[in-house]
Amino acid sequence: MSYPGEWTLRRAIAFVATLGVAVATYIAITEASGDSPVCLAGSTGCRTVAESSYSHVAGINIAVFGIVGYVMLLASAFFANDAARFGGFVVSLGGFGYSIFLTYIEIFKIEAICQWCVASAVLMTILFGLNAIRLIGYGGTDGTNVYGGANEREA
Amino acid sequence: MSERRKQLLQMAAGAAFLVAAVVLVLIVVNASSGGDGGDTELEGAAEVNRHLQGIPQRELVLGDANAPVELLEFGDLQCPFCKGVSEEVLPSVIDGVVKSGDARLIFRNFTIIGQESVDAGAAAVAAGKQGRGWSFVEIFYRNQGRENGGFVTDEFLEAVAEAAGVENLDRWNEERKSQATLKEVKAQTEEAQQLGLGGTPTFVIKGPNTDGLEVLGTPESPGQLEAAIEAAS
Repeated sequence: MSYPGEWTLRRAIAFVATLGVAVATYIAITEASGDSPVCLAGSTGCRTVAESSYSHVAGINIAVFGIVGYVMLLASAFFANDAARFGGFVVSLGGFGYSIFLTYIEIFKIEAICQWCVASAVLMTILFGLNAIRLIGYGGTDGTNVYGGANEREA
Repeated sequence: MSERRKQLLQMAAGAAFLVAAVVLVLIVVNASSGGDGGDTELEGAAEVNRHLQGIPQRELVLGDANAPVELLEFGDLQCPFCKGVSEEVLPSVIDGVVKSGDARLIFRNFTIIGQESVDAGAAAVAAGKQGRGWSFVEIFYRNQGRENGGFVTDEFLEAVAEAAGVENLDRWNEERKSQATLKEVKAQTEEAQQLGLGGTPTFVIKGPNTDGLEVLGTPESPGQLEAAIEAAS
């Protein structure tokens, strides 16, 4: 079975992780400045989600954890070694798992959908897929030819 | 397959199982814990009724009909910040300038959140027809659930109306569903839009020293409202 070149995967991971940093930063900033005591006309889902007890873990806004995770994933794209491959896989796996949990909470518990949280969940799902392919395809290799698609390996 | 690769993939599979198990446990634990809405056990009703005892109420107005200053709250009964202002800012304003007859408080529905806001607003207007409007609004806020979370049920509204002291529940039920009441709620929201208000709660003041209706915004402390009332009277 052939895989996309690792260089291609790393570029894709870097791109999606950058989008993730942007989305999580936007959510964190909006929620941090959401202290102003107003319910804006038209906004419902995101405010409901932000107001819920699930938006913070240990007093920290979960968007902050999101930023940290995306930055780690972005960093993992810069290295072509097993530590980066495995680290990227584990971080995206954790993010993906937590996204499933949060989406479940949004739909069945808070009963409100915040489009920004959905966007982040989609990005994290893509990142999990890319990192899984990267680890399965290139885990245990030396990362030679990482700038091209030449090191596609037979699994 | 190299030993290193085998080890890596084994670790990855282990991590995947672990995460799947944790997510499953989290979901099961959350599914079995009850939600925080849906019950009709009302909180704070006795406290609200005690607090408002002896203060004249008619329609959605609290206080002396001849008070020189009108303080209008444009609120959405589902809005958590309106609940916050109702519980933290208004009580001492009521104890002070409303009880003394210097100002009266008027609630206006600015239904921005959803259909449940309209249903709740209509129920408040109908409670007002029986002189229990302000009590209804305050008890509703005390028991507010999640925005558009389905907590505004007939049972919930009826429990609030009963706790607020609405005497004729049959009449109240008829009136809250009537076209006239729904029209009134809509007209109040339109008034807010005409005033250019962007969110809830927004307070508006009118008195001998104001140029018609003056928008105050969202108060953060009772002192802010009291100063505005003093300046307006």
